[in-house]
Amino acid sequence: MDPARRLGPAQIDVLAQLAVATVLLGGIYALISVGLTLIFGIMRVVNFAHGEFLMLGMYLAFWAFVVFTADPYFVVFVAIPLFFVVGLVVYGLVMRGVIHASHNVQIFTTVGLSTVLQNVALVAWSGDFRFVRPWHLSTVLRAGSTIFNLTQVVASLIAVALTLALVAFMKWTHAGRVMRATAQDREAATLMGIDTDRVYRLTFAIGIAAVGAAGVLVAPLYSVYPTAGLQFVLLSYVVVVLGGLGDMLGAMIGSLIVAAVEVAGSYFFGVAWKEIFYFILFILVLVFRPAGLFGQRGAETLGV
Amino acid sequence: MPRFVVTLVVAALTVVLGGELATVGGQATSGEYRIGVLEPITGPLAFEGKRHMEGLEIVRDLINERGGVMGKKLVFSVADATDPTVAASEANRLITREGVKIITGTFSSRLCGAASEVAARHDVIYWESSCVDPRFNKRGLKHVYRTEIDATGFGWYNIEFIAKHLAPRLNLKPNQIKIAFLSEDSSYGQGVTESARQRAKAEFGMQEVMLEYYNWQTLNDMTPTILKMKQLNPDVVHHISFSNDGVLFWRQSKEQNFLFKALVHAGATGYGGSDFGKALGNDANGVFALLEPGPGFRLEALRPEGQQIEKAFRDAVQKKTGTYPFGAHQLAGSGLWLLKLVLDRAQSDDPEKFRAAVMSLDLPVGSMINGWGVKFSELGQNANDRVQHYMLQWQNGQLVTVWPEEFTTLRAKWIPLGAWDQRK
Amino acid sequence: MSALLRARRGAVVVFGLAALTPLVVRDAYFLDSLVLILLWGALSAAWNVAGGYAGQVSIGHASFFGIGAYSAALMVTRFGRGPWLGLLVGVVLSIGAGLIIGVLSNRLKGPYFALSTIAFSQVLLIGVSRWRGFTAGAEGIPVPFRPGFATLGLGHTGWVYMALSVALVCYAVEVYLERSRVGYQLAGVREDEDAAEALGIHTRKLKVGAVALSAALTSICGSLWAQYVGFVDPTYVFSVDLSVRFALNAIIGGMGTALGPFLGSILITSLETYLRATFSNWDARFAGIYLVIYGTALILVVRFVPEGLAGIAARIRMRKAHA
Repeated sequence: MDPARRLGPAQIDVLAQLAVATVLLGGIYALISVGLTLIFGIMRVVNFAHGEFLMLGMYLAFWAFVVFTADPYFVVFVAIPLFFVVGLVVYGLVMRGVIHASHNVQIFTTVGLSTVLQNVALVAWSGDFRFVRPWHLSTVLRAGSTIFNLTQVVASLIAVALTLALVAFMKWTHAGRVMRATAQDREAATLMGIDTDRVYRLTFAIGIAAVGAAGVLVAPLYSVYPTAGLQFVLLSYVVVVLGGLGDMLGAMIGSLIVAAVEVAGSYFFGVAWKEIFYFILFILVLVFRPAGLFGQRGAETLGV
Repeated sequence: MPRFVVTLVVAALTVVLGGELATVGGQATSGEYRIGVLEPITGPLAFEGKRHMEGLEIVRDLINERGGVMGKKLVFSVADATDPTVAASEANRLITREGVKIITGTFSSRLCGAASEVAARHDVIYWESSCVDPRFNKRGLKHVYRTEIDATGFGWYNIEFIAKHLAPRLNLKPNQIKIAFLSEDSSYGQGVTESARQRAKAEFGMQEVMLEYYNWQTLNDMTPTILKMKQLNPDVVHHISFSNDGVLFWRQSKEQNFLFKALVHAGATGYGGSDFGKALGNDANGVFALLEPGPGFRLEALRPEGQQIEKAFRDAVQKKTGTYPFGAHQLAGSGLWLLKLVLDRAQSDDPEKFRAAVMSLDLPVGSMINGWGVKFSELGQNANDRVQHYMLQWQNGQLVTVWPEEFTTLRAKWIPLGAWDQRK
Repeated sequence: MSALLRARRGAVVVFGLAALTPLVVRDAYFLDSLVLILLWGALSAAWNVAGGYAGQVSIGHASFFGIGAYSAALMVTRFGRGPWLGLLVGVVLSIGAGLIIGVLSNRLKGPYFALSTIAFSQVLLIGVSRWRGFTAGAEGIPVPFRPGFATLGLGHTGWVYMALSVALVCYAVEVYLERSRVGYQLAGVREDEDAAEALGIHTRKLKVGAVALSAALTSICGSLWAQYVGFVDPTYVFSVDLSVRFALNAIIGGMGTALGPFLGSILITSLETYLRATFSNWDARFAGIYLVIYGTALILVVRFVPEGLAGIAARIRMRKAHA
């Protein structure tokens, strides 16, 4: 009999470990998606190059580790300002010109950007798989019979911290309130004298800084190569849409849901089918709750 | 319709026509012999394409140092094949623009199928060194050859090793072995896994406890699968991995303290690539990968001509890349060397004379790079028992040759694997 | 008739040149490039029916392409029937799938619709990869080449005319959408759905119909492609890259114009082919540069010429008319 369907005392341990796996995987997804929540949620720009900025973050971790033997947990503090600047530059060069254009123009601009970044990485650093192996890579924590991978724990904690910081930023700072206002109604915000271009620039830069930092933190867990970001792009959109546009806490819950679907699907039905479950969930949510599982004001600007 | 658009169209066509027509007659240069090389140089397979190119270039230089082919210097026309459409289109280009009569390549089964079809329609020789789709040379194409064994061969060798070498050392009869099949879902992974499953069951009656396929590009966590496997308690895990999936499985198995007696893989990817060792260091100890020979390989076990070229090849790879040859180097390199042997004999690229030369080649194991021999079937497939394969094992950061024992000075360790922290 | 020809001078030139080329050129690579230009152009025109005329921008059209490709390949290899029957089955299945996407389009707009179409193509990709017993899974299907029209085993010249025919069919559908009542209604739906609804137009049915028609045309091209290239595998035929390519040619050529997708295909396909050949021959390590150039060109075109090549042409014509 399939052990996945047999219930016994040993199953309790397994279920506990599955729950832990869900939380830790959800933490990684949340970390990767935070930046996208901002960019898609506030700017309404479908950024297909999201995964490529993640990839660049991973390469930063790799080169810092190889050249300076710098630990990713240190590099992340360099990555945030660095990628903030990268975000500003990319916004100025690429995004600013299309920010008021149609969604199609934006989508295909970021597709072009994604192709460029992938292949710049390929030419510059070759297609080899690279690895970052800090000393704490395979450190595990134990609680009873359940096991926690330290790197994943840290990634999850930082995801939570980053999310809370952004929630606080959006709620209590002037810039944050302006960003939210712009997200909810671009025209009204303009009428109120808000410089939307500045808002978008800031949003984009913060979003890129977040995903760059995420790249640095997940680099030890996965291999680093030019197309490493691809696998996370669609997944991040699933997370962001489930959570509701621009809803930071929603995205965090969305990450857990996607992780839960993936972990449970892999265990009970086989890892072959895991993505089909979350893509179907994605389509269902789009159709029945397009504003996200928890609803979100401002979604109507997308006509939903 | 506006003149501008027409101008633009004409301009675009001119670019293609002009640029491409200008290169016609690549073959005409005397003193050089040009062949077409199709490899995935960009895209997700770029890392493998790069090593194939390295292997090809190294052996090309070895060939030219030894007088070239048919008295001419061997040169390449390289084409980038990322998907079937591009592979077919680039094969067309190599044939009609570069004037090549022989194309070699391509690493991936989805590329070799489309490209060889084009070659066949132009009566051009297709010389495959790496794709392993068993259907590749069963399509009735007369001038399509493969130097490497197909996926069925890999499955055959793996089960051979498990039944004849591992089982006795585990004190188990082959039919007592509980085996779990885990594989990435590319055509390579599926081909090897299915043929291994079949032989394991039909010939040895092994007990299959699990079969799972996954997409390596979207795999982010192996824990659920490992938890399931822990309860199924297999003796041997037959895992075909592609890249990070191998690292992920091994690392998370250690985290979850999943104990099994052996893990067997096949091919130059995943556990068979240097990346696995780089990612895990000594934690990699114990994994088996069916490959071309690695350190420990006894040159003396080869025939004299085999010793000579194997040594020259190894030294050249060492000089160029600073490492022992990887599987991708060896596959591409030995394929090209074998092409030279055929051309030496045929003294012509006429498809019929070439075929006659291929069929007449009969070299025992140990005659060339990797200790391979040569005996092609009517289908254009080099024989399983001539394309000698070897079981390698990760031992302290190196993938070393451990089986068949007559070819190596080193021996397999950690059978059964034992506790995770005891594999030193 | 002559008035129509005059109004469609650009199309006459493009398709006329394509028709004449095989009479003059015998070179297989050039003809192969021409087949691909026509086929990608036809696919983009098919995409344009939904994306350009009905305003339903999909990035999942590879779904229909894949359905067409698999129907034809499986009909030949599993059932031993001709690819033409497979093409028909593909059309029927694609219309079914198109109806599903069409219904989605009634609930979703803009990026949400685009994302849902991607998800749809991914579901198909996984399904086909896993159903090994029937589809051969990720190993793909080599399609045997059997000379003859019934088996679609044509030479390069034959394929040029085959691709040209399907291109003309797609072009004709586009022209119909520009000139007919349905076309005007669709334009109304695209520009202002609420207003169109108020005018008594069945906006929902129209959109679903446009997506289904687009799906059927895409599927036909997919079936032909499978026979032309001779190898069908799920990771390629259902890939996002392919969906993007269909949309891209149309956007660069000019969305919602009949000839635009073909102009886009001419430019992009030649540019890509030319850059690839040049760079991979130069030094394999720098092969990626062609994609960097390609991506940059894409960003620039979308940024500075959002109305596409056909749009530039129209602008110039306007300027001339005023001068």
